[in-house]
Amino acid sequence: MRLRTKITLFSAASKIIILLLFVVLLPPLVQRVALHNTDQRLLNHQDEVIRMIERRGIESFVAGEEAGSFGSYNLLKEEFISIEQIAPREPVYTITNSFRKVENEVVEYRVLSLTFEVDEQMYLMEIGRSLATIRENIRTLQEYIIYFLLAVVLITVFADLAFSKILFRPLELIVRRLQRIGHPGTFKPNTIRSTTDDFIYLNNTINNMMEQIQAAFVKEKEFISNVSHELQTPIAILQTRQENLLSDPETPENMLEKLVDNQKTLHRLKHIVQALLLISKVENEQYLKDEAVDIKILAEEVAEEIQDRAEAREITMHLETEAHWTLPKGNQALLFTMLFNVVNNAIKYNKPGGSITIKGNLLDNRYQLCVTDTGVGIPKEQLSNIFNRFKRLHSPDKESHGLGLAIVQTVAQYHQIKLTVDSTPGVGTTFCFRFPEK
Amino acid sequence: MHVLIVEDEVSLANELTHFLKKEHYTCDWAVTGREASEKIAVNRYDFILLDLGLPDYDGLDLLRETKELDHEPAVIILTARGAVEDRVNGLGMGADDYLPKPFSLLELQARMQAIIRRKYNVKSSVMPFHELEIDTSARRVSHKGQEISLTKKEFDLLQYLLLHKNRILTRLQLTEHIWGNILEDDYDSNYIDVHIKNLRKKLSGYLPGDWLETVRGVGYRLTA
Repeated sequence: MRLRTKITLFSAASKIIILLLFVVLLPPLVQRVALHNTDQRLLNHQDEVIRMIERRGIESFVAGEEAGSFGSYNLLKEEFISIEQIAPREPVYTITNSFRKVENEVVEYRVLSLTFEVDEQMYLMEIGRSLATIRENIRTLQEYIIYFLLAVVLITVFADLAFSKILFRPLELIVRRLQRIGHPGTFKPNTIRSTTDDFIYLNNTINNMMEQIQAAFVKEKEFISNVSHELQTPIAILQTRQENLLSDPETPENMLEKLVDNQKTLHRLKHIVQALLLISKVENEQYLKDEAVDIKILAEEVAEEIQDRAEAREITMHLETEAHWTLPKGNQALLFTMLFNVVNNAIKYNKPGGSITIKGNLLDNRYQLCVTDTGVGIPKEQLSNIFNRFKRLHSPDKESHGLGLAIVQTVAQYHQIKLTVDSTPGVGTTFCFRFPEK
Repeated sequence: MHVLIVEDEVSLANELTHFLKKEHYTCDWAVTGREASEKIAVNRYDFILLDLGLPDYDGLDLLRETKELDHEPAVIILTARGAVEDRVNGLGMGADDYLPKPFSLLELQARMQAIIRRKYNVKSSVMPFHELEIDTSARRVSHKGQEISLTKKEFDLLQYLLLHKNRILTRLQLTEHIWGNILEDDYDSNYIDVHIKNLRKKLSGYLPGDWLETVRGVGYRLTA
């Protein structure tokens, strides 16, 4: 996931959590505030009533009424007040919630109860306010607050998105540049403009590292070039000297066979050096990939080149390539070497009278070329090793240097070709090249 | 034929000289680029075998100098660097051929022969061999006007044997000539034997029985 997306998601999530907290915690809070206000109001009413009693005397409230009590509530039963004469008892001064029946309707009230004495007579005053109205208010308030918070969350999330986009633009530039690099050699150091120190530091560090890597690559290239020169020259001297000896009529005949053996050994050395050079040059991307290579034609060329070897071992070759398919950017010579080595192996490890099938077809938009032989096969435990350099398996001869399949794999990787091997001992082996999608 | 060998490696220059003298070339040897430059200016060479990796000189500069001479010697680049760019550069600048080190002396001679034919415009590309006519440019072998069909590799083999007639060619030398440009895992001498067998079979009616001698444990020799 992108950093920018993560940060936006995080900020949205944290805001939603705060919103939920509000939704949960707000009702009790508002309720407490509302109750507090109600109580305050009840106390004010109480003061007012007491002042009225002081001014007009208790009689104006209780006289004339039955059993010396007074009751009044407003039309919508939101509030009530009652004063009644009671038997002497402990004084009471409380504010509580209680249910009262008013005109056959039970309503919950916040009730202030107060006992007071006038002329040695005890009275109980109760002032109530309906809680239903309070609840109503709370609900309305809550609704508005939720709408408001939702709006705030949405606005801030979009603001965060826009801001982070601007903020992370340098980082995205750096990432995009890194994505474009196929090989360290193609990297070009670049400055970025940003007021964020971290990005500038990151960019500078990347530039620095890449420069070091590039320098290492150049060094390696030079090293390979030098080593190849240093190794090839003595080999060249030995080879020419041996050839001169071979063609010298004075060389005794029993020496000739020894010279031929020498020649073979030298040839092996020469091939190892050349194979290693080829592998490291491919790995260093020192070969051009600028040719369109028709894989069908390539397979035909390899088959034609190798036909005589198959015939020499009485092996039949079947070429089953479908329509032409072209790899847009490749190196023909390298691909030829790759396929040649695989088909050559298929001949070398085949049984006399066996067969080889080279099959090419389109599979899920990708071209696949498979070389199947009816040879000795490769045991499962050795399959993972076959591409390792110098790993030699059941080689029927002693001349193989074990780099053939390493070359195959290196060339395949260089062209982004997926190489797979499937083998059943005693039945045969299949090498498949899956070419990249166009 | 006058050949200048430009090579800083003494042993290699010695072997080259030794081989070319036996092939009746006259040889000069220059160790450094400057020495080579002087020799080119004074002498008239037919061939320059040029090592690109000289200590004091860029071999390609030397190549440029030869192009300014009024008689143009044929230049074969011999280099251990073998990089693609070198090859492209060298051939682009007018070198006649290019042999990466290590190379076979026989291959070198074959290339020199081919250049001579090209340069001196040898009219007839037909090499007679007993009663056979081997046309190297049309790549045809015929007997009294009747064509004998050979595969590409069989023809290459016959031509190479003929070029180096009366000399033992080892199986490895023949293999290198036929498959030299392919870097493969191993060397298998059996394949050459199969081609030789086929070649013998195809030409047996037209040539004396001993035209191609098998030197046991070593290789083959074409006698003419």
